[in-house]
Amino acid sequence: MIDQAILQQIYDLSLSASIRENVNAFPVIESLHVLAVALVFGTILIVDLRLVGFASYRGSAQRMVTELLPYTWVAFVLAVVTGALMFLSNAVAYANNTQFLLKLVAIAIAGLNMMWFHSTTYRRIAIWDEDMPPPAAARFAGVMSLILWTAVIFLGRWIGFTLDLFF
Amino acid sequence: MSMVDFGDWLYATPVSTAIRETSWIIPNLQSIHILAIAVLVGSALVTELRFAGVLAVDRPVGDVMRRFLPWMRWALLVLLLTGVVLVVAEPGRTLTNTVFLTKMALVAGASLVTLQARKSLLVASPVQEGETSPAEASKALAWLMLVVWCLVIFCGRFIAYV
Repeated sequence: MIDQAILQQIYDLSLSASIRENVNAFPVIESLHVLAVALVFGTILIVDLRLVGFASYRGSAQRMVTELLPYTWVAFVLAVVTGALMFLSNAVAYANNTQFLLKLVAIAIAGLNMMWFHSTTYRRIAIWDEDMPPPAAARFAGVMSLILWTAVIFLGRWIGFTLDLFF
Repeated sequence: MSMVDFGDWLYATPVSTAIRETSWIIPNLQSIHILAIAVLVGSALVTELRFAGVLAVDRPVGDVMRRFLPWMRWALLVLLLTGVVLVVAEPGRTLTNTVFLTKMALVAGASLVTLQARKSLLVASPVQEGETSPAEASKALAWLMLVVWCLVIFCGRFIAYV
């Protein structure tokens, strides 16, 4: 695991201190995080449901994916930046929080699932672009993504109830 | 009976107490609440950006609305149900909270526009296949709606801090 001394150094950064000391900083960062997470999940859900086999607002799966994923990525970057700022403000507590660590694991697996899908089935999307239902591998990737991102949201909200600020 | 009295009465009811004292209920309800917000905001993003002429402009507005309106309805229902239970559990934190009341006003307005006004707009001027350019007023409303949904999320999180 991460060295507690390094975590303490992160905690002692002036940026971390200013987030802790400014009354509005944390709520604003947290609200932006919720907004970003909602946009990540909301847009991924649309793509995942299409991969699972629900008809969407256009026939072509590929066009929909290329149309929506830029929004997902912008929102994901915002979620990572705001998430990192919240982590900085209480690095020791977060690094020792089980829900936080599990959330990172779930995000990592979701990332691997996406990379696997993009490097295999998605490469052949021209073949199954308008097919209903999509191939089994695409449906599997969609279901996995839905389960993992749902877990990410549950774990994220649970952090707020389990974080031990006096760690 | 003032809102404060009502809140105090609600807080003391067995139902409210039971929800509060079962430690896993509120975190899981809030998680479901956030999932439903994600469904709503994701759907709103695509439909409003379609109205604004930014996204899926080659698709008829009606097709986009038909895809997302049922999901938005269900999401709003889940938000209402989980939200009611959360208020019952912690009335003091919500009923007399300006941020909460602001959120409710914004949600009511945005839901009304989403579920009714846009629907009647579609019925009044059925869109033909192919390219359609939404009216300028509709475009402005689309951007306003996206701002309102963002404000709703901010208010929702700030309930916990004021």
